[in-house]
Amino acid sequence: MPQLCFYLHLHQPYRLKDYNVFAIGNDQSYFADEQNLKNQQVFLKVAHKSYFPMLGLLERLLTQHSGFKFALSISGMFIEQAQLFAPEVLVLLQKLVKTGRVELLAETYYHSLAFLYSNKEFVWQINKHQQLIEELFGVKPRVFRNTELVYYNDLVKQLADFQFQGILTEAVDRYLAGHQRTQLFQSHSQPTLPLLLKHAQLSDDIAFRFSDKSWPWYPLQVEQYLDWIEIYPENELVNLFMDFETFGEHQWADTGIFEFFASFVAKFLQKPWNQFKTPQELFARFWQNHQSAASTQSGKRTSAGSGPFQRHQQQSQGYQQNWPVYDVPEPISWADVDRDLTAWRDNQFQYDSLRVLYELEQPVLESGDPQLIQDWRRLQTSDHFYYMCTKWSADGDVHAYFSPYDSPQEAYRRYSIVLADLKERLL
Amino acid sequence: MAKAQDKVLMIGWEYPPHNSGGLGVACEGMTRALVGSNTQVYFTLPYNLDSPDHMRVLSCVDPSWEQSDQPPFLAYSSVVKQSVKRLNAAELSSLPHSQLEQKVERYAQLVDQQAARFRSAYDVIHAHDWMSFPAAAKVKKQTGQPMIAHVHSTEFDRIPDSPGSSYIKQTEYQGMHLADQIIAVSFYTKKLLINKYQVPADKISVVHNGVSPWDQAPSQDRLHFAQKRPMIAFMGRLTAQKGGYHFIELAKKILLQMPNCLFVVAGNGDLYHELLIKTAGDQLSASLLFSGFVRDQQKDKLLERADVFVMPSLSEPFGLVALEAAQRHTPVVISKTAGVAEVMPSAVQVDFWDLDQMTKQVLRLLKDQGYGQQIVKNQLQDLQQVTWANSAAKIKKVYRQAFLGS
Repeated sequence: MPQLCFYLHLHQPYRLKDYNVFAIGNDQSYFADEQNLKNQQVFLKVAHKSYFPMLGLLERLLTQHSGFKFALSISGMFIEQAQLFAPEVLVLLQKLVKTGRVELLAETYYHSLAFLYSNKEFVWQINKHQQLIEELFGVKPRVFRNTELVYYNDLVKQLADFQFQGILTEAVDRYLAGHQRTQLFQSHSQPTLPLLLKHAQLSDDIAFRFSDKSWPWYPLQVEQYLDWIEIYPENELVNLFMDFETFGEHQWADTGIFEFFASFVAKFLQKPWNQFKTPQELFARFWQNHQSAASTQSGKRTSAGSGPFQRHQQQSQGYQQNWPVYDVPEPISWADVDRDLTAWRDNQFQYDSLRVLYELEQPVLESGDPQLIQDWRRLQTSDHFYYMCTKWSADGDVHAYFSPYDSPQEAYRRYSIVLADLKERLL
Repeated sequence: MAKAQDKVLMIGWEYPPHNSGGLGVACEGMTRALVGSNTQVYFTLPYNLDSPDHMRVLSCVDPSWEQSDQPPFLAYSSVVKQSVKRLNAAELSSLPHSQLEQKVERYAQLVDQQAARFRSAYDVIHAHDWMSFPAAAKVKKQTGQPMIAHVHSTEFDRIPDSPGSSYIKQTEYQGMHLADQIIAVSFYTKKLLINKYQVPADKISVVHNGVSPWDQAPSQDRLHFAQKRPMIAFMGRLTAQKGGYHFIELAKKILLQMPNCLFVVAGNGDLYHELLIKTAGDQLSASLLFSGFVRDQQKDKLLERADVFVMPSLSEPFGLVALEAAQRHTPVVISKTAGVAEVMPSAVQVDFWDLDQMTKQVLRLLKDQGYGQQIVKNQLQDLQQVTWANSAAKIKKVYRQAFLGS
């Protein structure tokens, strides 16, 4: 009987083409393009396996069930490639958003790790993404999800310029301090922001285990899954966060994933006390509560403020009693078993590539060359570093599944050559 | 009266375009020059290759090799790392350890069969390096023809800092001692054969490699790529022998003084991943790049584009690629002991371990154009003597000695 927050992430990187040292100074197109169809091929393949069928299904479910709602985050890289390769995907997305029951989230346009290296760049990319979303969908995202749900205490400071209502991230046991993950948390920061934490187990039952024949619950039955969810009482939240491609790409159509999902939504909503909620709706509780707490705490001073944003800007407020504090001193993410940054920044390849990339920030921006600046930003997409990961075991398999390269070494080798050309352009 | 034609069964291992390094290139230049001076060559290979216009290729291939889509066996990658089950020392030294070594054994049988078919077609056996010695030994036993062991590289060169494969060393030793004559590619190698393999000095002739003439006029504009920064190139197998680590150390030192320099490492090998990690760990990303193995046009472009070519080998029997760089008007910095220094004394020579000196020399070449041009000019002068025709004439002399001796 808990409230269910369902959120899907849409992203595709610009993969590098087979750029070699002899191209330095001669060829400034780094990404697989018309001649080099890799990105287009991947996008179309995933579109047919996942984007079209799942968007179609979501549209149907929204029509059939007035109680169905969810959130989407769509990276700028995804939108650019959709515009190029399959504009119908965007039309479908626009249709969904028009229903008013699909919340769009804020993130960095380039799906980057800029927050680690440059606040200025980080803020710029969030703004650029906001503009794009407003332009295309006519809505302004109010809730932030960082690249790969990366979160840590100081991230809230980095977002001070924005008036976000809350942030989505992962529930990592080592920072839960014994709290149930199925509730609203508040950030360990001043001012504080509310947080929604992903329910990893229930999310990954679908995202990773659904078609795993060695899993005791294979094949997963809707009733079974509902049992697990309905264990939680009605005032608790189950946050199912996953990649959009879970549906049709990671779990192929023949696994029955689409039927499962359709049936799950229907059966969940059959019981009148079950509810889907969007992140904004859930965060609204915090701000309502915040308002009353704030007015009792600081008396008449807040009377001028009418919305949550103005109140948010009043730096004087402390933590509230109602919400547990999620104290995360080191970055966490939703990736790998480690749930930290090591998928993107762990080995020497990753550290040094990132170092060189962000050392170029100032000269690149000062060059005033729009193409150069855009290339530099596309090289910030976290996937480039994900491909360089040398962690092994099951996580390594996941990395290899997504990588367009034969090996992490090749991902680094090629990236380094591209950076060399970027530097050449600055000379 | 015309001299009688020499007829040679040459036992090879690689040949362009399927070569992993200099051996294949040397075999091509050598056989063309030999054929050009009244020699008939039958050339065996452990893989299928259409005969080039100047000689007949005898492919000696086990059907099982064809099934794997492995490239031609990399004769020069180290084979010692592969594990073997526990054996006592005597057994260990007498058994082939690796797949490569097993292929060498099988190759010997197949060459022996081919040699029997073409028995009347040759009167001397000319075998290149250890991979072909077991085959040559079988053919020699079968036919009684004189055998020449041509040493391009030894296990001591390839595995400079560890014992290497005792099987390979033993194969080398047996081949050299069975051979009627030995050709060493340099005095450096001759000395090594005397000291490490106890080969009698008078059995060894030094025949330096030649270099196929570079008939193209040097490009007006050498700046094929990375036009805006000084470039220093390394080309060779990525093994301990070739000094890739030293090249990275050199890059670090030079970048401290000239931060815009670009370093390119061309080649493949066992140390690739290690060198790649070291590069990132030493914060050289985007300054030191790995091109992978390059051949043909890319090889030409890289050698021509380089402002300096560096060959910091720990042990270098010859080092053909240094000559190819010199042909393309690129100043060359090489290890003092490299065999190629014997034919190209004008190249800048340093001890491979003397990083300070190497750094100083490379910086001088980059900064002092006059100096660089002088080196290039002198190198080209040296090169005039370094022809495959000269090498072929010396090789034919060795054939004579072998006939006399047998």
